[in-house]
Amino acid sequence: MNAAKRMIPLIIAWIVLLILFRMKVPAFLARDNMIDLVQQISVNAIIACGMTYCILIGGIDLSVGAVLALVGTVTVSVLSIGNPTDQSILRLALAICAGLGVAALFGLFNGFCAAKTKMPPFIITLGSMLVARGLALRINETPIRVPAQDDLFLAIGNARIGGIVPVPVIIMLVLLALGAVLLHRTRFGQHLYAIGGNREAARFTGIAVGRAELIVYILCAVLTGVAGMIHASQLYSAEPNSGQGFELNAIAAAVVGGTSFTGGVGTIPGMLLGAVIIGTLDKGLNQAGVHFSLQYILKGLVILAAVYMDVRRKRQA
Amino acid sequence: MSSAPAPAAAPLLALRGVTKRFGGVTALDGVDFDLCAGEIHALLGENGAGKSTLIKILGGIHRADTGTVLIDGAQQSVRGVADADRLGVRIIHQELSLAPNLSVAENIYLGREPGRWGLLDRRAMEDAAENLITRLGMSEIRDVRRTVSELSVASRQLVEIARALATQARILVLDEPTSSLSESETENLFATLNHLRAQGVGIIYISHRLEEIMRLADRVTVLRDGHTVGTRSIGEVDQHELVRWMVGREIVDYFHRPDARPGDVALEARGLRNEKVRGVDFKLRHGEILGIAGLVGAGRTELARTLFGIDKLHAGTLLVDGKEVAIRTPQDALAAGVVLIPEDRQGQGLVMIQTIAFNLALPWAKEWNPFGLPDHGKRGAIVDRAINAFGIKISGPDAGMDSLSGGNQQKVLVSRWMEHRPRVLILDEPTRGVDVGAREDMFRIIARLVEEGMAVLLISSDLVEVLNMSHRVAVYRDGRIIETLPAASATMETVMQLLTGAQAQ
Repeated sequence: MNAAKRMIPLIIAWIVLLILFRMKVPAFLARDNMIDLVQQISVNAIIACGMTYCILIGGIDLSVGAVLALVGTVTVSVLSIGNPTDQSILRLALAICAGLGVAALFGLFNGFCAAKTKMPPFIITLGSMLVARGLALRINETPIRVPAQDDLFLAIGNARIGGIVPVPVIIMLVLLALGAVLLHRTRFGQHLYAIGGNREAARFTGIAVGRAELIVYILCAVLTGVAGMIHASQLYSAEPNSGQGFELNAIAAAVVGGTSFTGGVGTIPGMLLGAVIIGTLDKGLNQAGVHFSLQYILKGLVILAAVYMDVRRKRQA
Repeated sequence: MSSAPAPAAAPLLALRGVTKRFGGVTALDGVDFDLCAGEIHALLGENGAGKSTLIKILGGIHRADTGTVLIDGAQQSVRGVADADRLGVRIIHQELSLAPNLSVAENIYLGREPGRWGLLDRRAMEDAAENLITRLGMSEIRDVRRTVSELSVASRQLVEIARALATQARILVLDEPTSSLSESETENLFATLNHLRAQGVGIIYISHRLEEIMRLADRVTVLRDGHTVGTRSIGEVDQHELVRWMVGREIVDYFHRPDARPGDVALEARGLRNEKVRGVDFKLRHGEILGIAGLVGAGRTELARTLFGIDKLHAGTLLVDGKEVAIRTPQDALAAGVVLIPEDRQGQGLVMIQTIAFNLALPWAKEWNPFGLPDHGKRGAIVDRAINAFGIKISGPDAGMDSLSGGNQQKVLVSRWMEHRPRVLILDEPTRGVDVGAREDMFRIIARLVEEGMAVLLISSDLVEVLNMSHRVAVYRDGRIIETLPAASATMETVMQLLTGAQAQ
């Protein structure tokens, strides 16, 4: 397939990165280190899945970082209402529903504005980003600790199945598999490609463009909500200031993975590879002891190089 | 009608043995072409014959593999657009290249704005643009301060032509300039071109419309499959001969009006109204083609959009097969069996970055993918049926949409709806930029569908097409049908009189 062929240079680039970091950090390719790497990627990859849908239809969602913080705050707040001393499945379910519900509301708002008003998604989600961040800070200005007895919630981000495979990685793989089926196998996915490729033509073909757009933004927000719970669980607390810049990492993963900013082009496997490359870069540079200022510079250059190569290849085709 | 001035000794432009290959495909193979000063030289050929490649070499967009370009007898190397510009070559491409957010005047003087020290002299620019527009007889533009995005496609094309003529042009190339112009706009353009010819400009004129070429050109060159078939003076050829040269076979008549066997009323409109549609009533029967004849700007496209649920209806009712239907969205229209083939094939019809199969299968996703998991066999069958139904020439269903000629793109756009026959097919400018061969195919198939009972509403700027294909012709002006004529009494003259408001007798 064409899409698979386009991933080959990215896979080569990733292997080159692995070799370089292995030369600098002898234990880089060790099993535990690799498992850590995948675990660290999972939050970004889950968000980037929704982001890929948004970019694919010619939109964007800048609010994901702030929604992630808000979802964490809401979820942990519900968990700790009345300072409980026991663990209750009911309360946990309620907390998760509250968190995902808030996320869905933001998605609904973003999607409604994108579909029904002429406001550009960049501006809509810039606004909702600020609203979400403000709401998170209103609920609590300081981090809220996850009640220590809530093993199940803490397991979401920290447990390992069989002592090896982290739960977030499982969640990520399940969601990405579903996300890939949705995009690459369903009618809905087909419609997203049509909308991104030519919005007017999609409309003239009888596709309910507005409805699809609404669903995309809700999906993106709900996926972000799941990521927000994993993130809060990993931090053992909900931090209203967390998630800053997560939207940029998600956009980077989607774009490095071959999603076109003009819409209509992009895949979930490609996005995952993009997330893996960004994650490898983050971890490798850290472990190699590169100063954080230089990390930013290198990451920026890698993103530019990846997108430049992709654009050039497209022009040749 | 036009008398050719005596050709000068050395031709203004001479192309000699121009060859160009793209990968394994030979687009041009040793093509010779001459253009004299003060001559309109028509370039004819089906899509894919090599016209565009030839023009792009002249304009410095492509470079010839072999062959030479001579201007005034001196060999020139055209390495880029800047070279072509310096040599006085101006090309007006089929795809318009205006900045929609700028005004008419700003577009005309884009890149050569009058002013001093970097300051824009807006007044001088607007005055110059105003003069130019007046001189070229482009009254449709009205105000050079208008933003281009507010203008119709036809007006935008005029702006494009004005831009090319704003500086001294020696060689002007027009690629299908009249494909979206009304009759009167076409007349204006021809007057302008005759004027430029008299001033000694050499004009290369590309068109599929033979009548235009016969009227306008001094000479005609026909290309076929990258070869020059021949060059003749207009006085020495007739239309049939040209068509034979183009397609390599004789097409006696590419219109196939189906036999009139009108059945029950398929679509009835009663008092349709919105901003652009000002009270439209008509009845369209099964097995009938109702042509909508109107000038550009009369609101024909808006009527089509309203019938298809793109534009909102303020008042009036629509009946499909005698049952009242509320069409508020394209989905409603499709559910009622009404299909619109939009005028802007690439902008509104097709997803050009996708494959042919994607575009053909898109409307029927519900059938080949009902529960989330695609049935590739069924999808393939739908795609195959669509390809076969219209005889679309493709290298394979997974080839890119952009690999197809305009004619085949149009076939894709129509044939994809034939999986389940629509009750009513609305065709808006179905032959714009479509070559003669594909046009014939298209009309033959439409005729067959109509004979099998489909109702067709045909909207076209090409009056000859409307008159030859329709059973009845609705004359459309200012958002209203002012008269409906049976085919027998709808002659060019009567329809033109009604359209332009000229009084008969």
